[in-house]
Amino acid sequence: MTAEERTIQRDRMRFIKNSLSSNLAILGILFNVFYFVSIYKSDVDTYYYNILIGASIVYNLVFMLAVFLSSEGVKNYKRNYSYLLAAIGALQIGRIFIIPMGAHTATTLVGGETVVVMQDGQFIRVLVYLIASAACLLASAVVNYIRCNELEAHLKSLGTQGA
Amino acid sequence: MATLNLQHIDKIYDNNVQAVFDFNLDVKDGELIVLVGPSGCGKSTTLRMVAGLEDISAGKLLLDGRDITATPAKDRDMAMVFQSYALYGHMTIYENMAFSLTLRKENPNVIHKKVMAAAEILGLTSQLNKKPAQLSGGQRQRVAMGRSIVRNPKVFLFDEPLSNLDAKLRGATRREILLLHKRLRATMLYVTHDQTEALTLADRIVCMSMGHVQQVGTPLELYDSPANVFVASFIGLPPMNFYDVRVSGDKLVGGGFQISLTQEEQHTLRAYQNKEITLGVRPENIVEGPDVPVTVSSNENLGMNTLVHGHIGDSKAASAKISAKLKGWRDYKVGDTASFTFNRKHFFDKETTNAIRGGEG
Repeated sequence: MTAEERTIQRDRMRFIKNSLSSNLAILGILFNVFYFVSIYKSDVDTYYYNILIGASIVYNLVFMLAVFLSSEGVKNYKRNYSYLLAAIGALQIGRIFIIPMGAHTATTLVGGETVVVMQDGQFIRVLVYLIASAACLLASAVVNYIRCNELEAHLKSLGTQGA
Repeated sequence: MATLNLQHIDKIYDNNVQAVFDFNLDVKDGELIVLVGPSGCGKSTTLRMVAGLEDISAGKLLLDGRDITATPAKDRDMAMVFQSYALYGHMTIYENMAFSLTLRKENPNVIHKKVMAAAEILGLTSQLNKKPAQLSGGQRQRVAMGRSIVRNPKVFLFDEPLSNLDAKLRGATRREILLLHKRLRATMLYVTHDQTEALTLADRIVCMSMGHVQQVGTPLELYDSPANVFVASFIGLPPMNFYDVRVSGDKLVGGGFQISLTQEEQHTLRAYQNKEITLGVRPENIVEGPDVPVTVSSNENLGMNTLVHGHIGDSKAASAKISAKLKGWRDYKVGDTASFTFNRKHFFDKETTNAIRGGEG
């Protein structure tokens, strides 16, 4: 890419929304939906599905609201939403060690037989969903952060205030 | 840019109503042609046929010598600006202007360059992040023009683009279109029913009535040498005065007045001796003088001019009405008697309504 093309690309950011970051954030929500739908499929009666999953429902609602708002924020090159998305992305990684990992190592009695609460197949599936969600959110945050810096530098070079 | 040839174009709708009759026009490269006429005269239909939005019932349409009569609208390389702007309300001005190029999957950097260049030409650079609803009518119309400019079409088509604007904005936007034409040197077809737009914008005017072309010519030709009574009455504000008169020797004798003819006028009317003709006189060609006695019915001072309306003699008949645009400030009262002279006269055959020119007959 030539220097002129690079400049034009930056100048375009003044008028074009940051759709990539916004779409990545929405994709992060989608993977999270797949995750909690997969979690709630279990009919095993343990504390994971009574207390933690109750809390998880509340968290998922807050998560969706926060990420949706962030997707709108990053669309307009607001840098602060990068920090929020990065934090939520990191939390998605952290969530691996709460329900999936806990349920994967815990056992329960089913018909007098001891079984693992979350079998391997379900565990891997929810793991993939959480990691994919986290990756999308982190990528969204990074892309927006880089673009915000580029746009800010470009606007400074133009001598204008704000996009 | 491009040349455009309309050859014997007809438009007949499915219900057998014919909207356009044998339309012929050669548009030169970079020319701004204005189609003017009253509502329902077929000017917009003609423009839509050129754009490909209406089928051509008969005749040929050539663009740069290539027959595009049956070519779909999208392949004609023409851009149309509508009266209603036709902007996408949910898109920003930038996105509206870039939309057609985005659909063509052009390189985003190329699109950006074109949009910025068009915005610069139209003075829209600071509005690019706004939505159409945040702009005034004039600005919206400029966006509509910008959307055409970015496409770099061979021909620009304007369908009454200023009709939605108030008088002040209309004047300003009209000047912008004129500047745009001078800057782009683009071939343009412009439809309007407003004679002021036609006279100020056009390189040539096509005056239409009832689907027929009445006259094609420069604004001055249409104003100064109208081909018939219709053109004479349509072009000019206030409109031309018309009187039935008889040619009698070296005089014209009308209801309540008698005026002398010059040698040249006598020559022009030599075939009409003792016949009735239609005399046309523009209000601005009337001055105070001894020939035509007038009873004043209203006096409108416009600053530099005064519009005096009245009736010839004592007659109250519609055919005896007269409007004169006199230079300077006048103060006639209703019922006053004035006396006028016609400086410049237009003669029309009473039966055909065509202009009587010197050398005819």
